[in-house]
Formats: sequence, structure tokens, C-alpha cells
Amino acid sequence: MFRKKTAITLMSTFAIAAGVLSGCGSNNAPANSASSNSAAPAKPTEITLYVTSSQNVKDYWDSIIPKFEQQTPDVKVNLVFTASGTGSQPTYDRIAAAKQANKSSGEIDIYEDNLSYVTRGQKDGLWETLSTDKIPNLSKVDSATMKDIANMAVPYRSSAVVLAYNSDKVKTPPANLDELYAWIKANPQRFAYNDPSTGGSGNSFVTTTLYKTLPADAIHSSDPSIEKQWDQGFATLKDLGKYVYGNGIYPKKNQGTLDLLASEEVDMIPAWSDMVLDQVAKGQLPNSTKVAQINPGFNGGPSFLMVNQLSTKKDAIYKFLNYVLSPEAQTVVVNQLHGFPGIQISNMPQEVQDSFKGAASGFRSFNIGDLDKEVNKRWQSEVAAQ
Amino acid sequence: MSKQVKMGILGLLLVIPSFLLLFVIVVIPIFISFKESLTNKSGGYDLSNYMYLFTDKLMRSNIIFSLKVTLISVILVLIVSYALAVYMRFNNGVVVRWIRGTYMIPIFIPSVIATYGLIQLLGNHGWISRILLLAHVESMPRIIFDMKGIIIANLWFNIPFTTMLLGSAMSAVPDSIIESAKDVGASGLRIFFRFLLPLSYKTLLVAVTFVFMGVMGSFTAPFLIGPNAPQMLGVSMEQVFSVFQDRNLASAMAVFTFLLCSVMGYFYIQSMIKDENVRPQ
Repeated sequence: MFRKKTAITLMSTFAIAAGVLSGCGSNNAPANSASSNSAAPAKPTEITLYVTSSQNVKDYWDSIIPKFEQQTPDVKVNLVFTASGTGSQPTYDRIAAAKQANKSSGEIDIYEDNLSYVTRGQKDGLWETLSTDKIPNLSKVDSATMKDIANMAVPYRSSAVVLAYNSDKVKTPPANLDELYAWIKANPQRFAYNDPSTGGSGNSFVTTTLYKTLPADAIHSSDPSIEKQWDQGFATLKDLGKYVYGNGIYPKKNQGTLDLLASEEVDMIPAWSDMVLDQVAKGQLPNSTKVAQINPGFNGGPSFLMVNQLSTKKDAIYKFLNYVLSPEAQTVVVNQLHGFPGIQISNMPQEVQDSFKGAASGFRSFNIGDLDKEVNKRWQSEVAAQ
Repeated sequence: MSKQVKMGILGLLLVIPSFLLLFVIVVIPIFISFKESLTNKSGGYDLSNYMYLFTDKLMRSNIIFSLKVTLISVILVLIVSYALAVYMRFNNGVVVRWIRGTYMIPIFIPSVIATYGLIQLLGNHGWISRILLLAHVESMPRIIFDMKGIIIANLWFNIPFTTMLLGSAMSAVPDSIIESAKDVGASGLRIFFRFLLPLSYKTLLVAVTFVFMGVMGSFTAPFLIGPNAPQMLGVSMEQVFSVFQDRNLASAMAVFTFLLCSVMGYFYIQSMIKDENVRPQ
């Protein structure tokens, strides 16, 4: 009796499981054909934009996309937003896996990320080459930048990691790393950087320290043999642990250190320029907050939009990218996101040109690829757990 | 077909949906994680991930830290919840009405918001330290970015539900028992340990299981207010999975956490079965 019961249970389990699974399969089919047919004028073409960043960037897209859809009723943009620090790798893997499995675009049409993913995708042949006859506004972008990335992506905004400091307490900010270390030691507990695995500003402080004594071009290499030369940098970081906030507390996420600066628990932090300027403008950070770049600089550079080569909705994508590069949308980058515009500054209104004099320079573009993972790993075991 | 067989089939049909759900969202993922956790770097199968988990200094301190936080949280939650439940059972008046009306509030506040609230309240420059400053207390122990912060957050998250569970168990204790015990001169503490605790023992076990699993698997609060190292297992698992992208090690941690929780579940189910058998047929 018992055996019979088990057999019945198992059989019905499989029967129902099979039913459920095949149900899923047949549901997918019409959805796919619907999306490929949707170029018909009646229904707007839906394109999907994947963005990995902080909240302010999400707010930016939330305000840009409705404006674009109003102007271009035949295109609809779906925004998929993933949190900074963790979202990029899986998204990239998904695009690459979809290509390998011949499953077209993997439902990702446009992907936003930093330089390292542009070059990786270039190697893996994932991105579409862009040209000015498809996207007229591309001519407004600095042609040197476009040449660096082989026309594989659209740089639509820039930002850099800077030192944000309370100018009431700090009269002259450090000009280079050695002066910064000296300041940290002279002012114990008044400096904080965030856990490098949770945000780019802390990550840039760590990487800049690790590469301090290395050759200048090492920051563009993902060769694992460089790892051995990090030891001195990690020793420095370990030593600094005694002098940073809470004798070795590293808050989570880029915002974690900004919160400490806002509550005046610390006087200096590495932070993203756009986040600092944005929060000063909104009154979340006191007006005494100022920013400075050190020499050689922290990490910085444009964020890029890449077009999935296998997407079937290129026309809609180009319309969208053209809008993103229009002076109208770029003004939103400046005013709302407090980033540096992606197009050349001479295309911007005069008051925007004035506000950026001297601010948007001095940073370096780190591109160390997978080594970043190792940086985080070693930091966790050698610095956090000392 | 006899009636018994028909009833049997009906019973099976009723059980199958929940069984299937359990199978797809719990059993299959457990097997996948288990397989992942045995996969080593070169693609073969061995115990290297578990070896690393138990020998690496960092990982070991994470495990010990998680167990310590969980144990302390469970004990504190039980003490506070029992006190509340007993107090509400045997007293009446404004205070009880206030407790009854407010103790469930934490359940309705999203955990991220509650966690940031705690940071604002207990942080180094938070409300409490500012109020203490007015009373000329200059230094406050570090609560946020420390184990204390995680435990306080766990109290906030777990006390309401536990109190609710224990409260219902308390109201099932007949007045007559308490009154007769009082008549023969039993003290309050004695009544608690001799009658209330044994009579609510089963609910206590349920509560311990729930709190243990909830704390062991917690993420938001330890992520935002825990120290950088050692970390709770949930936080470390997330880091290993999505930052270091070591899926196999993350799976090993998941399986280990699951085993810890299933030990608790085992005791719980055991006592339930014992209880079923004792019941007169």
C-alpha cells in the first residue's frame, strides 16, 4: 500500500512538473514572435536598457526616458536597474551567454557600464560599431574618445572619484597620495573610505594606493602577474586601518562614507564627484563640502552605453541614443546628475561651460579587468580582517 | 474502489500542490547547491570548498561570529518576549493596552527603513549620543558597525512575532491552574518555571526555531550595520557570490547554513511527532 502510494505520488509529481514546464515553453514562443513583429507602426518598439549604478543615475534615467518617449511615441524604453558593485558582471555574462547560445540579444538591447566592459565586449565581439550617419549627435562627442573605444560605445556622462572634504576643518586639501596619508595619520579617525567591494569610490582609493609605486601603464593591464607587486600597497592600507574612521571601520556603499561626511563624523573621504555635487545641491551635504583631485588622480572617466550587436531593434536604439546625446538631455546630466557631459563642452549652453572650468580634469581611467576581483578579495582578508 | 482508496487519492491530490512547490523551490535548489559546493576549481568533485570554509581564518571567524550573534539574539529575544507575554497575560490596565496596541508595529516597518532608523538613532553622532551629550556624557560605546548593532536590530525584528506566539500559548494556560498554585502558596517565579514554561514548551521550541533561522539567514541589518570583518554568514555569502564570484564556495556556505538551520528544524519536528503520538487516539 505504502509503495503504491509513493509510486502514485512520484508519477503525478512528474506529470504535473512536465505540464508546468511545457506550459512555460509554450508561453515563451508567442512572446518572442510578438517582440519581433512589434516594428509595426501601431505598437511602439520596446527596447531594454540595463544600467548598473547608484541611485542618482537611476533618477536621471527616470526623468530622461519619459521625455524621450513623449518626443518619440513609436519607441518605448524599459529600464532595468541593478545596484552598483554587483550588477555588472552577471549582466555582461548574460549578453555573452546569449550570444554563445545563439539566442540573439538575451533581451538586453543597450547596456551601460564603464570602460572595462567596452573593451571586454570589443574582444568578445558583443558590441555594434556606431557611426554618425545612424546617430547624428555622435559628431558632438570628442573624436579622440570615440577612436579610443573604436566607435563601440557612446560616452554619455563622466564622473571621477575625488577627495570630498569639509572646508571648515581642512583648509588646504592634500595634493598627492603621500600628503593624503600624512593627513590621515595626523588626523586619526577623521578619514573614511568605503568597503571597496561595495562601491567605486572606496575601490578607487584602494586601487590608487596599490598602484602608487607601479609603472604608469600598469593601470591598463589585467595581467595577473602584477598582483605580486600589490604587497606594499596592502601593507600601507593595513597600516592606515589604525587611523581611519573607527580604527578600521569601512562603511558599505559609496553613500556610506558620504553619510559620515554629512554627519561630520569624518572630515575627508574619497567620493564620486557627481554624488558629492548632487548632494550639496540638494542640501544633504553641508555647503562647506568641497572637492579636490590629487595628482596622480583617482579613477574616473565616462560611462558608456553599448549597443548589443545581436539586437533586432537597432533603429529604435539609435533614435534613443541620438536623444541621449542631444544638448537637451546632456543638460540634464549636468543639472540633475552633476556629471560632466558626454558631448564636447562647446556644444553645451554657456552657463554650463562656465560651471565646469577646471573641474573635469586630472582623473585617470583604471582598467584592470578581473584583477579588481582579486583586489577586493585580498582587501577583505588582509585589511578588513586584520 | 473502496472508500478508503478514494479518500487516499483525495488526500494525495490535496498534498501534491504544496509538495510540488516545495520540490521546485526548495528541494531542487538544495541539490543544485550541494552539487555546486562539491565542485572544485578544476571542475572535479571533492571537499575542497568545505575544507576552505572550515580552515580559512576569515571564514572560520565568520561562522563563529554568526553563531555568537544568533545565540545571543535567541536568548535575549526569548527573555524579552516571555516577559512581555507573561505580563500581558496576568495584568490589565493602561500599560497592557498600550503594549498590546504597539508591540506589533516593527512587523509593519520594512527592514531597510528600520535599519537606517537604527543607524540614525544609535550611530556615533545619532540621536541618543546627541541627547547624552546634553547630559554631558561624552563617549558612547560603538553600537553601529559592531555586533551590538546587529543584535539590537535582531531584537527589533524578532520580538513582535515571538511575543505573539508566546502570548497565544500563555492565553491557553487555564486560570484554574495558576489560581490553585497560588492557593497553595507558590511564588511567581515558581509558577513560571513549574507551570507556564512546561505548558508553553512546544511554542517555545517553535519560537526558538523561527528566531534562529531568521537571524542566521538575515542580510539587510548585518550588511548595513555590521562590522567589515568578521561578517555574518549571509553577508559573507553575498560577497563571495557576487563580488568574488566564487559560486562553489558560496554554495558550500549556503549548504552549511542550511544544515545548521535543519538541525534546529529536526529538533522541532521531532518534538512535534512525539506530541502527535502521545495524543490519545
